[in-house]
Amino acid sequence: MVLELQKPRPIWQIMFSTHHTDIGLLYLITSLAFFFMGGALALAMRIELFLPGPQIIADSMTFNRMFTVHGTTLIFLFILPFASAVGNYFVPIMVRYKDMAYPKLNAIAFWMIPPAGALIWLGFADFTWYAQPPYSVISSPAPAADMWIFGLKILGVSSVLGAINFVVTILKCKHPDLPLSKMPLMAWSFLSSQLIIIVAIPTFAAALLMLLTDRMGVSGFFDPAVGGDPIAYSHLFWFTFHPEVYVLVIPAIGMMYEIIPRFSRKPIFSHSSGVFAFIMLSLVSFASWAHHMYATGMSFTEKTVFMIGTLAAVPASAMHVFNFLATMWGGRIKFATPMMWSIGGIALFFSAGAGGVVNSAMPLDFITHDSYWVVGHFHLFVMGTIAFGSFGYAYYMFPYVTGRMYNEKLGQVHFIFSFVGAVLVFFTQHVLGLFGMPRRVFDYPPFPEWIAMNQIITFGAFLLAIGAAIWLGNFVYSMGKGKPADMEDPFELGGKYYYPYQSKTPHHVGY
Amino acid sequence: MRSKIGLLVVFTILVIVPTLDYVFAQEEPGEYLDRRVVIWNLFFRMMVVAFTIGAVVSGTMIWLIIRFRESNPKAKPTKYEETGEW
Amino acid sequence: MSEHGNWAEWVYIGVVCALLVWVGAEAWNVERLVEHVPADAEVIKVTAQQWFWSFEHEDGTIEIGELHVEKGKAYKFEVTSKDVIHSFNIHDYVVLIDAVPGRINTVWFAPDEVAEHEIQCREYCGLLHYNMRAKLYVEGST
Repeated sequence: MVLELQKPRPIWQIMFSTHHTDIGLLYLITSLAFFFMGGALALAMRIELFLPGPQIIADSMTFNRMFTVHGTTLIFLFILPFASAVGNYFVPIMVRYKDMAYPKLNAIAFWMIPPAGALIWLGFADFTWYAQPPYSVISSPAPAADMWIFGLKILGVSSVLGAINFVVTILKCKHPDLPLSKMPLMAWSFLSSQLIIIVAIPTFAAALLMLLTDRMGVSGFFDPAVGGDPIAYSHLFWFTFHPEVYVLVIPAIGMMYEIIPRFSRKPIFSHSSGVFAFIMLSLVSFASWAHHMYATGMSFTEKTVFMIGTLAAVPASAMHVFNFLATMWGGRIKFATPMMWSIGGIALFFSAGAGGVVNSAMPLDFITHDSYWVVGHFHLFVMGTIAFGSFGYAYYMFPYVTGRMYNEKLGQVHFIFSFVGAVLVFFTQHVLGLFGMPRRVFDYPPFPEWIAMNQIITFGAFLLAIGAAIWLGNFVYSMGKGKPADMEDPFELGGKYYYPYQSKTPHHVGY
Repeated sequence: MRSKIGLLVVFTILVIVPTLDYVFAQEEPGEYLDRRVVIWNLFFRMMVVAFTIGAVVSGTMIWLIIRFRESNPKAKPTKYEETGEW
Repeated sequence: MSEHGNWAEWVYIGVVCALLVWVGAEAWNVERLVEHVPADAEVIKVTAQQWFWSFEHEDGTIEIGELHVEKGKAYKFEVTSKDVIHSFNIHDYVVLIDAVPGRINTVWFAPDEVAEHEIQCREYCGLLHYNMRAKLYVEGST
């Protein structure tokens, strides 16, 4: 139970605690802090692109560093730690165990994140979030690139440690009366996503080491000048990071599985199809990595194989959407803030998925590859689906974490601003891509269509920023001054919550 | 059931793909293929389908939101609310 | 699940799978068509380097930053790079292929109208990536 502001403790008691809710709180605060930092970078870049020609950013190198750190931060320092925060709070409760399986390992996994974040932010590397060699080997300025590599290395280890902890907690520490088939879907989402991490991350860990030795000049794995192959890096990278997309999205879907039945006042339509779809998604996530690389000169056969692998992920995702809609059907839905975020997230999840099907169709890659279409497409996933699900869950767990309620009206205003903003930004980016604007550009030629669309996007980005500011204000104010929440039923829905305060364990077991 | 559907999908692929292959195999000689035309055609065909499905899905969602919202006059407590277990 | 009939879900999944098969088959067919390079296509060697394009015609003429082609002919680009990965893109003609050092990737097109088009780099390549552009001039046949 973490009601810090009602029963204050010295800060080091939280920092050195190994209790799962304390570590969850640390994850939560860290991830949200990084969200605002990464978001600020995005806003600066959008202002820069409002008009052709330099606006507020001095040179293209600064801009390149900004989008690199923006991507790295929001994926590795916001979305992943946020999922860990939710998992830390809820997975032990859901499997009815007193804590995570390895509390100290849990604390270690968390405490690797701040130094890694510091390395990434202080270095401010410029080679994009996927550090494609040979650019990252021969062209990228020195301390920044190496700091990024070490930062990512540390984050990778942290993810794997966290993943081992989740998997062991779920499989080994689950209460014997609770069969795996009855386990809540959110716990299932963590089981499947963390298993993907364990399988996928080591590949990238190896690639990072090879990249580092390449940069030091002692090897030439990826440098064609000495006989290496840069495309090998792409394969290693995407073998980790295509599954990683599912690592990001599966917990967000799990969070929606917690919110939607609760606010529809009905059980989930089909628990077993949810489980089946999670397992399917984790398996097929490994079958599609090279669809990021159609343009690198792959053969027709390779492209066909990876197109089929990509399309194979669609039925499972569609089953989730069906499950959500069928759960809402016949319910009595309360449109509190968390529910609004979940429904908005599903709508954008569908759009992102439809765009993904179009992307995977091989010839269309000639139109969309590395254009703003791709930017719009994956932002619909990471912002529209994953962050929306996460924001909804942040509202959902707020009364539990603080013992107080947030301001419901402001929460809904945050949602409306963000939804309209996301639609304006990311749908327009799709169209801008169709008009041929490449991604990762500091400046663009003054074609009238490009200018108009960039301005719409920047306007949308401001809506997102205003929403985020409202959110921050709402949470900061409500943490201290909000009205006390009814901890049995903060959303006045009836029924039982999976809220950690119901756990039988006393405060701070591990401390 | 699942295996039957899987089998059905496999057979569909086996039949449809070679048929399409055969149908499109007749290229007129002498003229170069215009890649803009074939690729953008494919794109627009897929957009038609995507937007149709999108309309169905979002229409369903909007209907669900209106019909099953708490404040709808026809809303009634679900049967699970009696026991408070769901 | 026991209390719900789930036929609806199966129908739904069936429809989804059928659509995916259609998407896959269509894409496969179009890709097959556009990958087929005409036998009489003229080769243009494209070399990317930070941050400009150079083009070498079959007759040995070299152009930098601009490319002149004739309408009604087919051209096959053999694209490579001298330093880092770039991506050769004529968006108006839906031509796109990565320029990878140590590899030669090919893509072809047949311009059919006299016009000017933008050639741009579509893969991040550093400082002046945003300005790594060239002009394509499609000219009437001589």
